[in-house]
Amino acid sequence: MLSNYIKIAWKVLLRNPFYTFITLFGISFTLLILLVLSAFLDHMFGSHYPEQQRFRTLYIPSITLRDSSRTSTMKGPMSYKFLKKNLSALGGIEAYGISSLFRTTNAYVGSKRIKMMVKYADSGFWRVTDFELLEGKLFNESDIDRGQHIAVITEKVRDEYFGPGESVVGKPIEFNGLKYRIVGMVKGSPVTHPYTYADIVLPYNSPKSEYESDSKNGAYIGIIRARSARDFPSIQREFEHLTQRGLKFPFEESGMKVAHLEAKALPFLTGFIYEFFQSESTEIFFTVVSLFMLLFMALPAINLINLNISRIIERSSEISIRKAFGAPSKTILWQFVIENVFVTSLGALIALVFAQIILSIFNSSGLIPYAVLSVNYTVFGIGLLLALVFGLMSGVVPAWRMSKLKPAEALKGA
Amino acid sequence: MIRHFFKLIWNKKRSNALLIVEILVAFLVLFGVMSLMAYNYQNYSRPLGFKYEQVWCLNIGWNQDTAQIGEKLKSIYQRIRSYPEVEIASRTNGNTPFANNQSNRNVKYNKVTIQGDIFSTDEQYAKALGIEIAEGRWYTRADKGAKHTPAVINQIAKEKMFGKDNPLGKIIQLEGDERWKIVGIVENFKQRGDYQPNAPVFFNLSDWDMSSVLVKVKPGVDANFEAKLMREIGNMQPDWVFELSYLKTLRKSMNQQTSIPSLIFSIVCGFFLLNVALGLFGVLTLNIAKRRSEIGLRRALGAPAPAITIHFVGEMLVIATLGVLIGLILAVQFPLLNVFDLEASVYLVGMLLATLTIYVLVTLCALYPSIQAARIQPATALHEE
Repeated sequence: MLSNYIKIAWKVLLRNPFYTFITLFGISFTLLILLVLSAFLDHMFGSHYPEQQRFRTLYIPSITLRDSSRTSTMKGPMSYKFLKKNLSALGGIEAYGISSLFRTTNAYVGSKRIKMMVKYADSGFWRVTDFELLEGKLFNESDIDRGQHIAVITEKVRDEYFGPGESVVGKPIEFNGLKYRIVGMVKGSPVTHPYTYADIVLPYNSPKSEYESDSKNGAYIGIIRARSARDFPSIQREFEHLTQRGLKFPFEESGMKVAHLEAKALPFLTGFIYEFFQSESTEIFFTVVSLFMLLFMALPAINLINLNISRIIERSSEISIRKAFGAPSKTILWQFVIENVFVTSLGALIALVFAQIILSIFNSSGLIPYAVLSVNYTVFGIGLLLALVFGLMSGVVPAWRMSKLKPAEALKGA
Repeated sequence: MIRHFFKLIWNKKRSNALLIVEILVAFLVLFGVMSLMAYNYQNYSRPLGFKYEQVWCLNIGWNQDTAQIGEKLKSIYQRIRSYPEVEIASRTNGNTPFANNQSNRNVKYNKVTIQGDIFSTDEQYAKALGIEIAEGRWYTRADKGAKHTPAVINQIAKEKMFGKDNPLGKIIQLEGDERWKIVGIVENFKQRGDYQPNAPVFFNLSDWDMSSVLVKVKPGVDANFEAKLMREIGNMQPDWVFELSYLKTLRKSMNQQTSIPSLIFSIVCGFFLLNVALGLFGVLTLNIAKRRSEIGLRRALGAPAPAITIHFVGEMLVIATLGVLIGLILAVQFPLLNVFDLEASVYLVGMLLATLTIYVLVTLCALYPSIQAARIQPATALHEE
C-alpha cells in the first residue's frame, strides 16, 4: 500500500513539473537558509575547535567597576594579577587559564608586511583549550619561569613568515622590535572565537604584556574548565565570593572611587549575551532567534498552503472515484498524509545536500580562516517538523474535507 | 469596473484571504529590506569628508610606563615627521578614522544640548586628511594658549545647535565646564566609514597625551620604509606597543560591517520574492483553469480577448492593493512612532519601493496566465460544461 501511495505521489510530481518545482523550491530553500543560519550560530556559540569542551567551560570576560552612586561605570578585561589571585584560590575545577585578548602587530619579511594577532597566555591556557599541536611543544610553567623570549605560532604565520612546509621549531621570529624563539606550532583558531583567536601566543611574562599591573582593569580574561557542567553553579558562586574577598571599598582605580566590583564566570553564550545586553538570561536570545526564524518561515509556508489548496481541485476526480468504489475517508486521508510526507522529505533532502555544498564551499573559501561550519541536525529536525506541519495542514486538510463529500456530489463537481 | 472586481473578490474571500496575507507578508519583508537599502544609500551618498589613500594610522600604547609620557610621545612624533618619506603627520586621540573607538560627549549651546563625536587633534589634522573647510578656518599653532579651546564643527552640528545663525566665534560648553570657541565649519566627517549616518562632529585642538599619529606618506612609499619606521620608533621606547595600519584597509573592513549583512539580506529577500512570484503564478494558473466556463461564457457574450486579460490582471491588482494597504498601515507606524530614530524619508522611500516591487511582481505573475485565459475558445469551454 505504502509503495503504491509513493508511486502515485511520484507520478503527481512528474505530471506537472512546474508545480513540483515551486513546491520543492519553497520547502528546500527555506530549510536551506535555516540550516546555513543555524550552522553559523552553532559555529559561534557551540563547542568547536579549539574549544571543543566549551559545554563545561566558564569564561570570565570582563570586570565591572562602579562608584557608590552607580553613575559611572568601567567595564573591560582584567589585569593578570587580579585573575591569578582569584583563580588560583578556586577549588573543585579541572584547570584554569589566563590569556590576554588578541592585539594586532606587524612583522616584516623584506618588503613584505605580515599582520599578526598576538596573545599573551599562561600555561593553563593550553589546558583549558584543545589546540592541535603540529610541531614542537606548548610552553609550560618551567618554560615561562625561565623568562626566555619564546613563542607558539600557528600554521598561518609559518606559511607567511617562513613559507609553507618549513620546519619552524627553534627558529627566531622578529616583531615589535624583539626576537622570539619558536617552541611550537598549532592549528589556529577562527576569528569568531575571540577568547582563543591568535596567530602567535607568547608567555604572559614576555615584554609588553602588562602582566605586572596592580590595577583591576587590564588586558586579560579568564577561562575555567569544570569537571562537568553540573559544577557550574558552585564554581560561579565560589568565584564571585573570591572576587569580593579582601577588598576595602571604596578604592581608587584610574581616578574613580570604586564602591562595587563585579566579575562573573559565565558559560560562553550567557557571557556573550551579558557583554552585549547586560542581562544573563539566554531566554531572550532564543526567543528572538526563534521568532525571527518563524517569521522567516511564514512567507514560504503561506505560499505552500496557497498552492496546495488550489491544487486539490486537480485531485478531486481521483478522490471521488475512490470514494465511489468504496474507499473510506480514513484511507484517503492516509494517502494524502503519506504523499505530503514524501514530498516534504524530498524537499528536505535537497536542502540538506545544498546546505552541505554551501557550507563546504564556505569552509574551503578561507573567508574566515580555520572556521569549520557543519549542519546542525537538531535544527534540521525542527525545520523538517515545521515543514511537515505546514505541508500536512495545507495538503491534507483540503483533501480530508473533500473526502468527506458524498461521492456523487464530488463527481458532479469534477 | 473596480467595484465589480471587489464584489468578485469578496465573494471568494476565503481563498483570497490567503493571497492577501501572502502579499502582506511579502510587502513587510520588502519594506524592511528596502528601508535598509534606502538608509544605507542615503548615508553612502554623503561625501566622506576626508581623504585616506596615502594615510597610515599608528596607535601607541605605553603600558605601565608613567614617566614623562608627553615628552616621549612628542619625541616619537618629531622623529616620524623628520623622515623624508613622510609628507605630513598629525597627532590625534584614539578615535582615528575607521577605528572602532568612539568618543562621545554632550555639547551645550544656550539651551540646546546635543551629543557629538569628539575628535581631539593637533593643528595638522585637516591637512593630513585633506579635510576641506567650508567656513572659517582650521585651528593653528597660534591658537594654543587662547582663553577658549578652538573647535571646528560639521554642518549637521551647526544646524542642530545654531539653526540659521552663524556659529563662528560662538562659545560652546562641554560637560565638566569646558568651553570651546568655534573657529571653522566642515561639511562632513564620517569617521565610521561610508555608511555612517550623518552625526554631529566636534574637532578641538588638544595638548593632551594623544595616543595616535596619522602619517601621510609620499606616493610610492612601501613596506620597506614601514619596517624601518617601526623598528626605529620601537627602539626609542622598547616597552611600548606600536600598531600600524593603513586607512585604506581599515575603511574596507569598516564598510564591510554594513555591506556584507545588507548583501546577505537582499540575496535572501530576492529568493523570497522568487518563491512568492512562482507561488502567485501557480495559484493564478489554477484559478483560471477553474473558471474556464466563466471565461467561455463571457467570450460567447461578446467580451473581446483583451477584456479578459485586463479582468484577471485587474482582479490580481485589487488583491495586491488590499495586501499593500494593510502593509502600508503597519509600515506607516514606523515613522509615526519614530521606532528607530531614522528620518521619515527613509521609510517613505522604503514604502514606495516595496509597493512598486509588489505591483510589478504581481502584474508580471498575472499577465501570462491572463493572456492564456484570453485565448480560451468559448465553444470548447462551454462544451466542457
